[in-house]
Amino acid sequence: MMDIAQQLREQAKKLLEEKKVDLVIGFGEGTELARTTPVFVNNPEDVAVLTWNPFCANNLVKYLTDYSHEPGKVAVVVKGCDSRAVNRLIADNQIKKEKVVVIGVTCPGQLDWQKVAAKISPGVRLKEVTDNGDSFTVKTDAGEYKFDKKDYMLRRCLVCENPNPVVADVLLGKEQPVKNYEERFAEVKALEQLSTEEKSAYWDKQFSRCLRCYACRNVCTVCTCRECVFDQMKPMWVSKRNNLSENTAFHLIRAFHVAGRCVDCGECDRICPVDIPLRKLNQKILKDLGDLFDAPTPGSRPDLVSPLGEFTTGDPEEFM
Amino acid sequence: MDARVINKGQLPELLDRLAKDYALFAPVREEETVTLFKKVAGAKEVALDYTNSDVSPKGCLFPQTEKTFSYIYTGDSLQINKNEDVQNTVIFGARPCDVRSILSLDPVFEGKFVDDYYAARRQNTVIIGLSCNKVLSTCFCNAFNSGPCDGTGSDLLLTDLGDKYYVEVNTDKGKSFVEAYGQYFASQGAEQLAKAKEELAKTLEGQFIRQVDLGGVKEVLDENFELPYWDKVFKKCLGCGICTYVCPTCHCFDIFDFTTGDFTGERFRCWDSCMFPDFTLMAGGHNPRPTKKERVRNRFMHKLKYHLDRYNIAGCVGCGRCIAKCPVNIDITAIIKDLKEVGQNA
Repeated sequence: MMDIAQQLREQAKKLLEEKKVDLVIGFGEGTELARTTPVFVNNPEDVAVLTWNPFCANNLVKYLTDYSHEPGKVAVVVKGCDSRAVNRLIADNQIKKEKVVVIGVTCPGQLDWQKVAAKISPGVRLKEVTDNGDSFTVKTDAGEYKFDKKDYMLRRCLVCENPNPVVADVLLGKEQPVKNYEERFAEVKALEQLSTEEKSAYWDKQFSRCLRCYACRNVCTVCTCRECVFDQMKPMWVSKRNNLSENTAFHLIRAFHVAGRCVDCGECDRICPVDIPLRKLNQKILKDLGDLFDAPTPGSRPDLVSPLGEFTTGDPEEFM
Repeated sequence: MDARVINKGQLPELLDRLAKDYALFAPVREEETVTLFKKVAGAKEVALDYTNSDVSPKGCLFPQTEKTFSYIYTGDSLQINKNEDVQNTVIFGARPCDVRSILSLDPVFEGKFVDDYYAARRQNTVIIGLSCNKVLSTCFCNAFNSGPCDGTGSDLLLTDLGDKYYVEVNTDKGKSFVEAYGQYFASQGAEQLAKAKEELAKTLEGQFIRQVDLGGVKEVLDENFELPYWDKVFKKCLGCGICTYVCPTCHCFDIFDFTTGDFTGERFRCWDSCMFPDFTLMAGGHNPRPTKKERVRNRFMHKLKYHLDRYNIAGCVGCGRCIAKCPVNIDITAIIKDLKEVGQNA
């Protein structure tokens, strides 16, 4: 893991020195052992801040749109799941391909920092992480810890489709096998079994505690509107009143708005401060798009059109 | 100071009674992962085995959405019906940092300009604090001369000491409360528990990982509005409102009128966040905080300077929620450290 960090620094240095890019967006050490933080490097002398370990959870592709109208090229470090977002942003015309250098890193899965932090004595420093296939060994200055992937990985990693980036100009790390830890739509299928009343009660409970902090929207790579419908005051489509009705409207509008474009990176789900399982909403749509239109996960290939953005005569017409 | 003892076995009965006599707000666990403060109907819903709730009890006094009045226009007169729905309230089980945060909110809503809605709730609320039994890696209340067993602001402070709670009676309100529910509060054994509490406090004091020194930070901000440092910090910010919504002292709100078109309507106020672009958007379209840089700077200036300037009390209590919840690891303790360095190098 650590040698990948070293390779990453060398690649970033080279790209910056050769003026192939003006900025590298990558991961840096966080303020807690099990966390990393996005870093923005524009000087080849600063590449030492870049790091790589199983705590690089963020999807950094989100930041590309901040630079779409700035001069110069941007390199971004991506995992497999994030890489789908690069394809999607380019397909959505949000960023030009020639503007981006994708530094792909193959990913053996990401650990859930909160679960890990609960096991590790606070305040210790990370020294090394080794991938043992089904577990990670985390070496710290206060000893060694072993974390089984199926118990400590992020939920999204348990159903990972693309441990290897689907697009990369520079590829680091050895190829990772696609592991079926869990059936991809198991959670959605379980929800589908419930009665309408049970489903309604389930989501009512989830949405009623929503804070409307909009982190799910702001972290989302395919949320790229200049002015979001939820920020619009005239007319006000969804009010700021925090109640079940408005909260439900917010989440359902958002889910439908990204339908066919959601790359299933699971960031909304990961960062929700009150643990609303938002990914289940998006996965339900993904599953339906798969069942109805045989549509792969958006962003899986650069040439993919959004399944809801094209018409073919073979489309089912069940609702007609 | 008056001190009492509650047997843990009796707590459910007390909570059930409180839920009948008061609007009782207490920590509630949802989906096993989230703890928040909610109005409860009885002891069964209360989860006291939490370290720090994900959402602070701020909303018990300052609800996220609040109707302030409704109006009816009849053609010749305008009738305004103020929302005066104030219940006698108990906030049960609030951690010391969260209780201190209420002391930071008080001068905002009950200072020079009194906010009737907050003031009415505040005056009718009994705060029963609960000492911590664990210090999280994100906690830094010690930086504000507080601690895991600090009773400041609580009418009563409970400390969990095995099969009993040690109860410190800190105010007159607390005293009347203990008298009213005398059967649950024993006097016997309080002295031994006082010692046990002191020991617990000492043990916990040694568990803070973050040693945050605020000295000089305000002075740096007093002298410097523009700092190149902010150019570095804001880039990673996603502009979401997590930090402000989980913060127990953030108190900005927005006001909305809703009319139905038939000469009736309602006015609401809702939590707002200085992290949102429309927070400072003016009617004419001008925005004095046009980018994330100005917005991020504002939040830290507010926490570390403006609140002190205005009210002479810190606008941060060291609960660490913003650190734990920030999706991109923007960490106020790191910012405090960096600002100190900036000051030393200036």
